Amino acid sequence: MSKFLLTSLLACAVLSGPALADKVITGAFDQGPGGAPQQFNPLTNTAGFTWLNKYYSTLVLYDVNFKKISGDLASSWTVADGGKKYTFVLRPNVKWHDGSLLTSKDVKFSIELANNPDSGSGFAAKFGNVTSVQTPSTRTVVITLSKPNAALLDALTNFMILPSAQLSKIPAKELRSSAWWRTNPIGTGPFMWSKYVPDQYVELKANPNYYKGKPKIDRLVNTYFKEQASAVLALKSGNIDFTYLSLDDTKTVQGSNATILSGPSQVVNYLGFNLSDPRFKDVRIRQAVMYAIDRATIVKQLYGGGAQLANCPVTNDKYEPKGLNAYAYDPAKAKSLLQAAKWDSSENVEIMTYYGDQLSKDVLVTIQQMLAQAGMKVTPRFVDVPTYNQVTGGNNFAMVYAGIGNGPDPDTLYPSMHSDFIPPNGTNRMKINIPALNKLFETGQETASQTKRIKIYQDMCMLANQQLPWDVLWTAKRFGGVSNKLINFVWTPAPAGGRYDDQAQLWDVK
Amino acid sequence: MGIYALRRILTSIPLLLVITALIFTLLQFTPGDPLDAYIPPDQVISVQQRQIIKEELGLDQPKAVQYVRWLGQALQGNLGFRIKNGEPVSREIARRLPPTLLLMGLGVTLGVAFGVLFGVIAAVKRYTTLDNVLTFLAFLGISTPAFLAGLLGLYVFTLKLGWFPAGGYQTPGDGSPLDILRHLLLPALILSITYVAVLMRYTRSSMLEVIFQDYVRTARAKGIGETKLISKHVLRNALIPVVTVIGANVANLIGGAVFLESIFSWPGTGQLYLDAIDSRDYPMIMGITLVLAAVILFANLITDLLYGLIDPRIRYS
Repeated sequence: MSKFLLTSLLACAVLSGPALADKVITGAFDQGPGGAPQQFNPLTNTAGFTWLNKYYSTLVLYDVNFKKISGDLASSWTVADGGKKYTFVLRPNVKWHDGSLLTSKDVKFSIELANNPDSGSGFAAKFGNVTSVQTPSTRTVVITLSKPNAALLDALTNFMILPSAQLSKIPAKELRSSAWWRTNPIGTGPFMWSKYVPDQYVELKANPNYYKGKPKIDRLVNTYFKEQASAVLALKSGNIDFTYLSLDDTKTVQGSNATILSGPSQVVNYLGFNLSDPRFKDVRIRQAVMYAIDRATIVKQLYGGGAQLANCPVTNDKYEPKGLNAYAYDPAKAKSLLQAAKWDSSENVEIMTYYGDQLSKDVLVTIQQMLAQAGMKVTPRFVDVPTYNQVTGGNNFAMVYAGIGNGPDPDTLYPSMHSDFIPPNGTNRMKINIPALNKLFETGQETASQTKRIKIYQDMCMLANQQLPWDVLWTAKRFGGVSNKLINFVWTPAPAGGRYDDQAQLWDVK
Repeated sequence: MGIYALRRILTSIPLLLVITALIFTLLQFTPGDPLDAYIPPDQVISVQQRQIIKEELGLDQPKAVQYVRWLGQALQGNLGFRIKNGEPVSREIARRLPPTLLLMGLGVTLGVAFGVLFGVIAAVKRYTTLDNVLTFLAFLGISTPAFLAGLLGLYVFTLKLGWFPAGGYQTPGDGSPLDILRHLLLPALILSITYVAVLMRYTRSSMLEVIFQDYVRTARAKGIGETKLISKHVLRNALIPVVTVIGANVANLIGGAVFLESIFSWPGTGQLYLDAIDSRDYPMIMGITLVLAAVILFANLITDLLYGLIDPRIRYS
């Protein structure tokens, strides 16, 4: 009997052999601020693109340094009619995971679906001035705009092309939370959907027909962790190969079996003021807050150098003009500015934030002490995102500590700083209403010439530095931890994750 | 007993109704609604898009109408749809209930077994070093939050000793019963800690109350063996307060499981509950509350029925 058992066990082990021998990379790809765990609808997702572009593809894509946009599904494109007409030529013979051919119809369908209010897509705001999408041939797509939009290509780097044959059967309203996205979705990316176990993991398998070559690994697994600490532990114990790391995590991962990857977050942190509140209308108050905070010390002591001071909302070097006011730490000046602006020092102001990590708590407590020394009493208030959204959607708040994605294209700041987007119409939550700033964002979007655009955003940066619609503080680095057994693994932080060419088909395991 | 149980079940219905009404009312006071949770701070959504989603989720209706609608559907067995992905709430709960019951089941079993065992040992060896050590450990166990114990457990047994996987329910691509057991053992052991500690203290004091009673002395005088005396005469009589504690702690156990599920990435109702609260998913929150409240009421009923089995003198009327 025992012999029989032993033989059966051995047989099982041999049979399960090939499954164990295949090459697998397991990671917590949706961990951290760029992730969107278990959200699989690329039309409504606002993050998690790192994972989505493993099985969907976009027309165009940034390089890993976010310097240059090149074709992905599109092999080439031209811009005509003063920036109002974009013509994309698709790569030949790109196949969906079900074997059917990708055509220009799929691109047209995807853009029109995003623009249909029923689909609830955030891309509608970016494609709002698209008047028509034409498909003169199976490989040519012509997008016509009502007015030029120099940021269209940037928007398309995050826009996944979807299969019209499958999705056109589902009404747009039902599509928003349709089971299609999590049962057997098909894309054109390097990996194909294989298995989803809710709350646990998603498994993809290699796409043998991928247009850039079959991936070197057989399976790619995305595991979910509710707690960041658990994900870090899983990385350190070798259970997973990749996860996002916070600054504190990097200290514990150092020297283990993983390597730390880092890069600019493309997110600026700022103190925002409710500008509809008469107390903050006087620019001297906002200037005083800047002078009162010793940002250099905070960056050095709390961030351990893992952040860079920022003096305007854009932090890409090319958009920063010379002669910006650096608002160097000057508590005496802060005090006199507050007095000149008749700030009531007995008043206690709340600074609300959705950040709940230890570093942000330390930062806010430090700011609280520094502002108190200058004669401004503040109290930090830590809330979750729904609370933050509801409160800042109205007018009943004073200050916030928040972060915003400011790149790769500065146009991304448009809906958060232009007065047309004051809630409920958009995300200008601080109620900024500076006509000159509005104008700069409008011309920046409509200008096709790269040199002219740079000048426009430099002017925007200068204006924001003087008028301080936000008190911009710094831009921090973000980190990932990757197992030393991976080869060719590419990852860099990005707002919302993804939108860069990480060449996942070349990822391999030692 | 059957009639008693039926009566208890019937009286639970209005209680569940009150609980749902209370939770629904409290939810309305929570800042932010499902839409605020669904749309990130920097996501532009037009007024028209917002209205479409609102109507679709029924959030455009007055609050009272929303509750009555939910209740009407719930009575017909439809708990609504999860806002995050449109899945039926009942299916989402059903999918996560087995892992939770598995975790809680093993947690309780280990907790009761070790708790009663250590309690008996401490009572029999009262005021010895062993008793003092067990008492010290019990207080440590009672005062350590599940969250902390979970992280410590992961650090020691996973990272340092490598005995258990770092959370999860199964290894992707595996999922055999042995694989699940390997993932289950550590969280279940940690979940049982509070139980062991509390039960040990109760068993000990309850045993000490009984152990000095006249009938025990008489039994001993009649020459009955010590083991038989403790197990049959002392323990059985000492168990009634212990059973009460087991039943009363089910709610605590669920609370502990919520945190442990998060730390161990255990795909149960606890994790689903936290996620529902984070995303202000009203139907999901209501659905889980209803199920968990029913579980607690059911556990209390079982506790009451167990009294009769332990002590035949107890009659249900």
